[in-house]
Amino acid sequence: MKLNVNGRTLAAQAPEETTLLAFLRDFLHLTGTKYGCGEGGCGACTVLIDGHETRSCLVKAAAVANKRITTIEGLADGGHLHPIQQAFLDVEAFQCGFCTPGMILASAALLAGNKTPTSAQVHDHLQGHICRCGTYPRIVEAVLLASSFKSGTAPHA
Amino acid sequence: MPDSISRREVLQALGAGAFLFAGAPVRIHPADDGTFTIYTGKVELGQGARTELTQAVAEELRVPVGRVRLVMGDTGLCPDDGGTYSSLTTPLNVPAIRQEAADYRGGALTPPSDWKIMGTPVANVRGHDIVTGAYQYPSDLHVDDMLHARVIRAPYYRASLLSVDGPAVREGDLIAALAPDPVSAARLAGNIQTQWKPEPFPVDPSDHEALAAWFKAHSTPPVEQPGARYPPLTRRGDAAKALAAADHKRSSRFWLPYIAHTPMEPRAAIASWKDGAVEIHSGTQTPFPTRAEIAKALDLPESKVRVMAGNPGGAFGGKHRAECEIEAARLARTAGKPVKVAWTREEEFTCSYHRPAGLVEIESSLGANGKLDAWVHRNYNSGAPALPTPYDTPNISCEFHRTPAPVRQGPYRSLAAVGNIFARESHIDDWAAATKTDPWEFRMNNLADARLRAVLEKLGKGSGGMACTIEKDARIALRAEVGIEGGAIRLKRFVFVGEYGAIVNPLNLRNQITGALIMGIGGALFEEVRFDLTTQRTRSLADYRVPRFTDIPEIEVHLIDRRDIPSAGAGESAITMTAPAIANAVFAATGQRFTSLPFRLDMHKG
Repeated sequence: MKLNVNGRTLAAQAPEETTLLAFLRDFLHLTGTKYGCGEGGCGACTVLIDGHETRSCLVKAAAVANKRITTIEGLADGGHLHPIQQAFLDVEAFQCGFCTPGMILASAALLAGNKTPTSAQVHDHLQGHICRCGTYPRIVEAVLLASSFKSGTAPHA
Repeated sequence: MPDSISRREVLQALGAGAFLFAGAPVRIHPADDGTFTIYTGKVELGQGARTELTQAVAEELRVPVGRVRLVMGDTGLCPDDGGTYSSLTTPLNVPAIRQEAADYRGGALTPPSDWKIMGTPVANVRGHDIVTGAYQYPSDLHVDDMLHARVIRAPYYRASLLSVDGPAVREGDLIAALAPDPVSAARLAGNIQTQWKPEPFPVDPSDHEALAAWFKAHSTPPVEQPGARYPPLTRRGDAAKALAAADHKRSSRFWLPYIAHTPMEPRAAIASWKDGAVEIHSGTQTPFPTRAEIAKALDLPESKVRVMAGNPGGAFGGKHRAECEIEAARLARTAGKPVKVAWTREEEFTCSYHRPAGLVEIESSLGANGKLDAWVHRNYNSGAPALPTPYDTPNISCEFHRTPAPVRQGPYRSLAAVGNIFARESHIDDWAAATKTDPWEFRMNNLADARLRAVLEKLGKGSGGMACTIEKDARIALRAEVGIEGGAIRLKRFVFVGEYGAIVNPLNLRNQITGALIMGIGGALFEEVRFDLTTQRTRSLADYRVPRFTDIPEIEVHLIDRRDIPSAGAGESAITMTAPAIANAVFAATGQRFTSLPFRLDMHKG
């Protein structure tokens, strides 16, 4: 099976029922994408498929063979963090960090479609993502901060 | 060793010199490039221990934070610093390791008034790895030639195995499918047929009244244990006599259900055997006790077991015991290859232990001066933390009645302090209402502790509901403002005030407080693990609501920094404020008094 992940074609032998999540983690050893529940209920496994936020535990790897897949490992541009990664770092929008890759990718998808979301839009967009450490207020703060970077107010982003 | 960072650190440390001095692990290892590697048995769980301990060492060695690196939780390399629980890192390990670093430097301990690195908002030292996906959790680890296990579970909570058929690996009562990848292991597991005989619970754990009666019938009265961290019995004066003689009395009864930790990362472990010894990677909070448990389960001396504990994706008291660790070790021994056991979310719900259910009864009396005169607090099964009342009361008896438990139960963030403080602060609120006194004034009238009074002064009188306490040496208070909308409780605003002695890292402290308050919303409004007579019915996130983005109120956190007072641990205590502050706010708004978690609004009053 061959997939286009983070701009590279990566291949591995895997059973046909392999989910995208398992393919990434257990066959390609890209472990930044997390297993949290396996039923699309927590958001930890979120990746971007052709730019769209997707729960990788709910799709078969074989079904996305011709798509562009972006995982947390591929979000930074070389050594340059994506603005949403920088914003998460700036406000320390994490504790254990296990939900962070999914939160960051979902936020990147939100900001790609809405450059200046309101706080309520951020809440609604991320409602399907769980952070058991309860870092929600800082995550919202980070997304709003990143949206200000995108309008050109943060030189380091 | 699959964790590339650990490997690098260990190789550097090996290059720097010996690990052991007179048989004991050495704390501080200097390297030629001016960096220091520090070994500690504590574990980073998301509570910020790595960054705080880094600050402590950097402060006393007089080096920048970037020149200090920690190797944590490895029983083969690190000193035993005690388990990572009870918010002990800040009050116990930070001072101890600071002292060791000051001794290493050959100078006196830096007084808090002169702190340059401690007391400042140092960012999480592994933050970059967290936002780029490079940070590795136990479930991310991989060792060469490893097999993945899918353990076959009984469909019942407890059961005995009758038969097994199919491509199973069997080690006593442990049955699993093993394969080179987890997808193939799950497919193999689907071809294994087992039959089980259920062992029903002695009482339905979801029937609150029946379970409460069962706890009382099977309980043992406590005896005084001076010096215990959580004394099961604290007495002063003669509470029974004072109650008998009192005119103005009240009694209340509260129920706490079983709840699940539900860390984002389900448990995972990898076991590798070599020459009769086993090495285990896992996310345990307690590497040394876990090593002892594994050694006992496998009939090995502890010297033949090495536990490398690291970076669990959340723990909250739920990862104290050797569970998947023992399963991985047994299966790896049978298979003759390294084995990874990574629990599914369903296993995380059904195979882990829960926060204990419990019954709390409080009886108290008030003197004519509006001051509490007698206080009897009995907790059945849920635990002793936070039993002693902070209110200035001459006659008290605060009791934890131990009972057998039908469900596997164990530690949880603040454990029974959540239930005990919910009960106490609800009961106090009832007194305020009964005496037509403002709840803030009632508390001030009954509190002598100057630090807690200062916290209440900062919180101020206000609307909504409030709660306060002394917990793990901190003084904390919360005011909650709520609305009742569409028959549901909507949280509008939390105002929190805390005094934790000298603040070590305000950035992390605020994160811990906010997170704990939010975790408390789940226990207050949503969470309960459900059972029937043979089975746990709560098996997935779809069955178990936890707090989400739109549940969160506006939250203000105010801190009082007391550099003159030793630092208190802060990873847990704020969780105790959420339920009583919300309950008291709903009482103020509707007159309904909640006596059971999670809260169920009475529609007639909403």
